[in-house]
Formats: sequence, C-alpha cells, structure tokens
Amino acid sequence: MKRKLFAVVSLLMVFGLMLTACGPAATQAPAPTEAMAQPTEAMAQPTEAMAQPTATEAAMTGGIDCTGVNSGDTLSVMYQWSGAEEEKFNTIAKPFVDACGVAINAESTRDAAVLDTRVKSTPPDVLFWPSTAIISLYGDQMKDLSALGAHTDNYADFWVSDGTMNGSLLTLPAKADIKTIIWYSPTQFDAFGYSVPTTFNELNTLVEKMVADGNVPWSMGFESGDATGWTGSDFIQDLLLTQQGPEYVKGIIDGSVAYDDQGVQDAYATYQKWASDPKYTVGGATGTVNTAFLDAIYQPFSDPPQSMMVKQSGFAGGEIVKQFPDLKYGTDFDFFQFPGAKGMQGGADYMFAFGDSPAASAFVKYITSMEGGKNWAAAGFDESPNAGATGNYPDEQLSKKSEMLANAQGFTPDLGDVLGNPFQSAEWKAIINVVQGGDIPTELADVAAAQKESLSQ
Amino acid sequence: MANTPQIMKQGRVVPWLYVLPALLVIAIFIVYPMINTTQLSLSDRSGTGSAAEECVQGQPCWGPLENYRYALTNPEMTTALRNNLLWLLIMVPFTVAIGLAVAVLADRVSYESLVKSLIFMPMAISFIGAGVIWRFMYTIQTGANEAQIGVLNAAISSVGGQPVPWMSTQPINNFALMMVGIWLWAGFSMTILSAALKGLPGEVLEAARVDGATEWQMFWLVMIPMIMPTITVVTTTLIIIVLKIFDIVFVMTGGNFGTEVIANRMFKLIVTNVGRSTAIAVLLLVLTIPVMYFNVKRFQEQEAMR
Repeated sequence: MKRKLFAVVSLLMVFGLMLTACGPAATQAPAPTEAMAQPTEAMAQPTEAMAQPTATEAAMTGGIDCTGVNSGDTLSVMYQWSGAEEEKFNTIAKPFVDACGVAINAESTRDAAVLDTRVKSTPPDVLFWPSTAIISLYGDQMKDLSALGAHTDNYADFWVSDGTMNGSLLTLPAKADIKTIIWYSPTQFDAFGYSVPTTFNELNTLVEKMVADGNVPWSMGFESGDATGWTGSDFIQDLLLTQQGPEYVKGIIDGSVAYDDQGVQDAYATYQKWASDPKYTVGGATGTVNTAFLDAIYQPFSDPPQSMMVKQSGFAGGEIVKQFPDLKYGTDFDFFQFPGAKGMQGGADYMFAFGDSPAASAFVKYITSMEGGKNWAAAGFDESPNAGATGNYPDEQLSKKSEMLANAQGFTPDLGDVLGNPFQSAEWKAIINVVQGGDIPTELADVAAAQKESLSQ
Repeated sequence: MANTPQIMKQGRVVPWLYVLPALLVIAIFIVYPMINTTQLSLSDRSGTGSAAEECVQGQPCWGPLENYRYALTNPEMTTALRNNLLWLLIMVPFTVAIGLAVAVLADRVSYESLVKSLIFMPMAISFIGAGVIWRFMYTIQTGANEAQIGVLNAAISSVGGQPVPWMSTQPINNFALMMVGIWLWAGFSMTILSAALKGLPGEVLEAARVDGATEWQMFWLVMIPMIMPTITVVTTTLIIIVLKIFDIVFVMTGGNFGTEVIANRMFKLIVTNVGRSTAIAVLLLVLTIPVMYFNVKRFQEQEAMR
C-alpha cells in the first residue's frame, strides 16, 4: 500500500520537477516573433521578361519614357506585397515592362532582416517599403529621385519635403491608405435632418444636437484583446491632426513635442468626454472598454441603430457589407473625412531607389508620371498620392479617399507604429485608463516617459 | 566472486556512460538556456549591448541590472507581482480544497465516476480554449435594449439585476479570471487526492471507527494527516502552474484593467525588449526555487522514511 502511494507521489514529484524545469526553458522558446511569422517569399520573376527588341534608343513609347534603356535590361525590385497585392503591382508595372522591354526581378519580403542583408550586399534597384524610418539606416546608399528624373510636380509639396534629407529627395509615396474618416448611415442622417459636418466646430455642434435628440452619437468600442486601445489611438491622432495639425504630430514622432504637452491633453479631454459618457457613446466607459472594435463598427448600422457614427479606417466598409449584406454603399452606409483634419493619418508604401541604371531611372519616371498615377489608380491598389491618379479609380470609396488625401496638408503615420514599444503599449494603457476616468496629466506623464524611452534607442 | 561474469564488472567510467544521455539532454535543453537567459537579462532591448545603455538620463538606473530595476519597480510589473501573489493565495487553496471535498464526498456515492468525470473534464480543455469559453460567460452588452448574451449577465438581468462588466471592473475581474483557473484544475487535484484516499489502509480507518471517532474527526485527524504528502505534492504542482499563469489572462483581458501577470509581461516584451523579458524570466525562475527546494526536501524525507 505504502509503496503504491509512494509510486504515485514520486511520479507526481517528477511531474512537478519537469514543470519547474520547463519554466526557464519555455522562455527560450517564445511565441514566434512577428518577423519570424512572416516567411520570406522569394518570388521567381512574376513579371515575364518582354524580350521584344522594340525601343532601344527611341525615347517615348506610349507616353512612357524609356531613355537609355536597352531592351532586355533587368531591374530588381523589392517590396512587401504578395498574392493579390503583388498581382496589382504587376498590372501597374506591365505597361512599363511592355514599353521599355525591361525584365523585372521582384522579391517579396516583410522581413526587415532580409532587407538589411540585401541592402548590405546587393541592394535592389528600387524598393517599396511601408516606412521612411529606413532612411536613417540606408540613407547614404539611396539615390536622389529628382536626379533620376522623378516627376515631383505630380506630388503635393509636403510629400516632397517629407522625403527630402539634406537636399536629396530620397523617397516619394507609391500609395497610401488614409484612416482619418468617420462612417455613418446617410439614411439615419436624413431621417433626423443631420448634415455631414465639414469643420470640427460643426462636428461638435452635431454631436451635441444628437445628444439633445436622444441619439447616441458615437460607437467608441475598442476591445481588441491584447491590443485593446488601438482604435482609441487612431481617434486621438485624428483629434490631434484637427486641433493641432500634422506638424504637431510629426513633433511627437521626432520628440520635439512631449506626449504630455497641453495639445495632447486637450485631445484626450475631448476623447474622454466622448468615450466615457453613455450619452455620447454606446454604453459609456463600460461599453467602450468591453465592446469589441468590430461590434462597434456594426452598431450604427444595426436595426435599430445603436449609434450615429463610428470612426474607423477604410476596412470598416468591407466589415459592414459582410455583416449586413443588404446595405448599399452611398445610401445605407458612407463615410466622411474627420471634420477639420488638417492632415491625414494612415499607412503608406514609399518608393526608394538604390540603383541609378537607365532602367531604374525609367521606372522611377514611370511610377511618378501622370501615366503611372493613372495606372496605379486603375489597378485599385489603395490611394495613389500621384496627381495622375485623380478620376481613374475603379471604386467610389477609393476615389473619395483619394480626393481627401489630395486635399490634405500633410500625412502622418500611426504614432504607435512609428515609435514602437514601450510607447505604443503605454499609449494604449493610458487610453484605457482615461476612458475609465483616469487623470489625464498623470496618465500622459507615463506615456511621455515611454515616448522618451522609445526615441532613445 | 570468481563467478561474476565479465560484463557485470564495471569500472568508474561505466556509470557515467549510463547517465550521459540524460545529462546531455539536461545540459542542452535546461542548463544552457538557463545560463543564456541569465546572460540576456543583463543585455539591452536587442540582446546585444549592455543593459546599462538602456538607462534614460534623469531617471533612476541600476546599471547592468537595469532590467531588474524594471522587473521589480515598474508599476505594471508591481501590479503583475501583486496579481501573481493573489492568484497563489486564492487559486491554489481553492483548487486543493474543492478537489479534496469532491474526492471525499464522491467516495460515498454510487455515481462517483460520473461526478469525477464531470469535474475532471475541463482538464481536457486547453487554457486558451477555457479563456475563450469564459469570455462568453462574462461578456456584457452595453447597447440600449440589447439582450445579454453572456451567461452570467443574462442570468443577472433575467432576475432584474444590473449587468456587471466582469472583465473591466477591478478587483472582481481578477477573481473572475481565477475562477477559470480553479474550474480547470480542480479536476487535477480531485483525481490525485481521490487516488490517495483510496490507497488509505482500511484497518486504520476501521480502528478509528472502533475507537469512536466521528466522521469529522476521522477526516481531520486521520485522513488528512495520512494523505498530507499527496496534498503537498498537489499544492506545490499548483503553485508552479499558477506562478506561470499566462494563457487565461492573455486571452481574456490581455493584462488590461489591472489584471497583468508576470508571464504575460514576459511574453509581451520578448519581441520588443529581450533584456527586460529575460529578466522577468529569471525573476520567475527565482520565485520557483523555494517551491523546488521544498519539493526536493520532501522527496528526501520520503526516501528516508522508506
């Protein structure tokens, strides 16, 4: 009997010891890091080499400038796109490939380490990357796009000045997707006689009017598990772009504006008012922190509607259609620009050149030309900041967003994405606390400390 | 002596050859990672430079031990340490007590195996799965006239009560999370303790009854002392499990609303700050050492008794 019990006990002890032993070992095998989760997909020449000896010395072919390019020249391109996105890029590049007879060697990777190795050994002629932060790493190797013949006059001045370092234009955006928009139901707006606000004051008035009518203006729900708070950070950045402007936001990114500055506090005060009071948002603070961000997107369009507006990026349109297949864009759901926003926020893919061969030059010229902008828009690959894109989009929503982008005075990336951690997690935590009634200056002091830390790497 | 076959004669080297494979495995998978983790815990966020480089001017700094300053004084870490302590103080005793109660009581009914199967079933569910299930249990709808779809809040509102935001209200959210842990592990403690109870020699219990002990006295004065070694093992195992608690918190609150735990901080930081993350790992290891020590000591006492 005793022996049997001992056997059970000792077995358990071994089990216990094994568990303990697992402790340190487990830390060595963390969940895959983001970089690891995105395997590099080396694409084997998706674009067919057009080996037709058409234009060797002929300069212009179908509006595309092929000066100096010999048919059969190769051009290496690197980007993060794959699948449908990569096909869109191939569609955009095809007229160039056809006209100049250039073979494009494309490589698709999301891994910054792969980019690093390539840049240090055999850099791609042209690189598309979703961040300009790489200028600080490889700026010395980058070629001046103006010298390559980029049509800078097709881009808003701020794009050119943002891309210029020490007098050299190192980058221009190939595409962008803006987030500074608010979704609403035109049917509901008509029913209550609301009109789309165009200034921040009008938005304020509209919100108060909705409250007076007994309607809930906002769906602020931002529950997103481990990433809870990111929707709120988008909202606050839009408030900053409206109340302070894009230069101010860029100041936060370079550290000249501390995150507990008065302007940021003001934005948080507005946000706190709207996101924690049940008169302004569905369920008040409880609703904001407990409602999943996807559910918040549905709320203005449910029957009966729970709220009047939800601030969310472009993807919300797709989610609304998925949840309510009968709703039509333009009548049942639509979006407007965050009223009074002086700049746009969103994601953008930027173009950099490491090569200055005639083929690289011709490609840069093509992408930045009116023709290139037109083809980019026609492929429906997000919004092209190129003036040639205007009026050439296959879909109304893209067209509308592109118009907003064209009228913007500046463009800022997501603060959390650029500054990274610990800033981002501190920002989200502060947002949650502020919604739950936290003291704004105290909370923001923590984020400002994290901002310093993020900038000090 | 002379009859001993040649093969049975072992030199000094042979025993080492037998343990060598085990030693190798331990060295590669436990000792090396442990040393490496400790080294990394003194490095900066990328794991290359020294942790001292992470110091921000004007803020306190512990030099090469900077990551430990973070692990011990950062407000999020102190919350996590407090919560882990709470988890230990609540989940461990409750899990053992419930397991013991079910083990003792189920012993006296004819449908024992049914009861035990039901209690044991959650053990088959992963932490992540349990987290997802209980998210639905606790969920709250905040829209006007929206029906509550979370079981608990539906029950509360059906009797006219106000729904409770279980996950975002402190401190009940911590207890709501611990409930999930207890639900998962009660079956484990029940199974082991039940086996120990069944192993008790009948004559001892018989003797106690003959001496006129009440059932209550039998439980406290005879059964408990006799299965104490098993209770200790269950407890220490649970302590180690609870110290490493991660999945439930990660799935259900992501560590928000003051529910952060040590392992969740470690996980969040491993991508962005190797130094801090590994410092937390070392801290976690240090916290398990007393439990280990206690376990080993018990093991030796047991050995001596035999």
